[in-house]
Amino acid sequence: MSSYHEYMAEREKIDFLLQKGFKITAVTENLSGAFVTFERTENNQTEQEALHILTADARKYFSSVLIQQV
Amino acid sequence: MANLTTNLAGIQSPNPFWLASAPPTNSGYQVQRAFEAGWGGAVWKTLGDPILNVSSRFAAVGFNGQRVAGFNNIELITDRPLEVNLKEIYETKKKFPNHAIIASLMVEPQQEKWHEIVKKVEDVGVDGLELNFGCPHGMAERGMGAASGQVPDLVEKQTYWAKEVAQTPVIVKLTPNITDITVTAEAAVRGGADAVSMINTINSLAGVDIHSWNTIPHVAGKGAHGGYCGPAVKPIALNMVAECARSPFINVPISGMGGVSNWQEAVEFMLMGAAGVQVCTAAMHHGFRIVEDMIQGLNYYLDERGIKKVSDIVGKAVSKYSDWGNLDLNYKVVARIDPDTCINCNKCHISCEDTSHQCIDMLKDPSGKSYLKVREEDCVGCNLCSIVCPVDGAISMVELPNEQPPMTWNERQAALQATAVQRLDV
Repeated sequence: MSSYHEYMAEREKIDFLLQKGFKITAVTENLSGAFVTFERTENNQTEQEALHILTADARKYFSSVLIQQV
Repeated sequence: MANLTTNLAGIQSPNPFWLASAPPTNSGYQVQRAFEAGWGGAVWKTLGDPILNVSSRFAAVGFNGQRVAGFNNIELITDRPLEVNLKEIYETKKKFPNHAIIASLMVEPQQEKWHEIVKKVEDVGVDGLELNFGCPHGMAERGMGAASGQVPDLVEKQTYWAKEVAQTPVIVKLTPNITDITVTAEAAVRGGADAVSMINTINSLAGVDIHSWNTIPHVAGKGAHGGYCGPAVKPIALNMVAECARSPFINVPISGMGGVSNWQEAVEFMLMGAAGVQVCTAAMHHGFRIVEDMIQGLNYYLDERGIKKVSDIVGKAVSKYSDWGNLDLNYKVVARIDPDTCINCNKCHISCEDTSHQCIDMLKDPSGKSYLKVREEDCVGCNLCSIVCPVDGAISMVELPNEQPPMTWNERQAALQATAVQRLDV
């Protein structure tokens, strides 16, 4: 798979969560990539999801989303 | 025609092209011939205690057919007596009153020595002084040149000593043989320097003869490190000029040098903050008459853009030079191959496949003819294919519209930080 396709696959996962109303609440970066935590609160219930982002372009992508959020 | 006159810290010059302190400015005969050819100024070869030179002393580094891509020397400051030089400076200034003559000076780090030489050279009518804190060989072993120039306290102190008695502007010439040139530039400013100039030559060994095992150059079978200059050092010099130009603590004019060979490179140095340029290796390679092309080229360049004075371009590109952390991570360019211009040499494919991002495909059209195509989604815009391509215009780097708003590394880190803090608050 080309790196573009890897990026697109990761971006789709990010977009999927964003469309469902999740927001990025934490990011942990290490040598293995970025662990991004998403959260959404509905009916006083907080739901959490996590993605392990590997590609550089996807890390740029969620960072842009994060800046818009902040 | 544009106005090419420059004023560097009060030193007037009919154009921005000065000969740097070096073999071309060793005598009145040479400097006068240079002024007749059109040079705006000359920094007289460094005056100091008469010294002894060795034979041989120059070496050139060629690359791919170019004979002087880099140049190396183990020559020292002037080996002619001070009185002889002073007499010739006086005569030259009388003959060319409107040209800039700057005396390059180097003495031991003692207050009275600096006072003595400054007074002597100013008595013969120089327009300014350039303190040589840069030469990396010979004099450095005796505590002068780069040995002084690598110690900020010594730069500051000796500049101060020169300024104590100087009536003319004092330029401090800096060595590139240091990690961060702004540190010594700031020291010069603290010492009262009216301007700084850079770069002097870089520590170097031009080569080794693989048959005799002698260094190049060698003196009776022995060698020593010399100073490197010429076209090869231009990117290093340009960066150092830019770093000083954008520093808020170095608020004095800059005289830029290091590999300037033509008017285009002079413009680059001036856009990046140099108020004027000094040239040496190119004059040594091609003679004094290269200045005619430099003046003409600069004139056309300014006229084409409707710029009336050359001083108007000084520093115009400095704001474009920043830190990596301020670059837009979302800016995107990709390579595009023009099939009509491409000669199918496949150099781009090989370099991309072996050493870059494997995004150039070798394809065949319906008639069986080979062609190369970039998979733009996989291209990172590294420029390598366009660099190795031997045909102008065959590969161009094309900007793609930003999918995301601009985002720098610094902004990204700040956002991550803010997110972590928010998370803690939760």
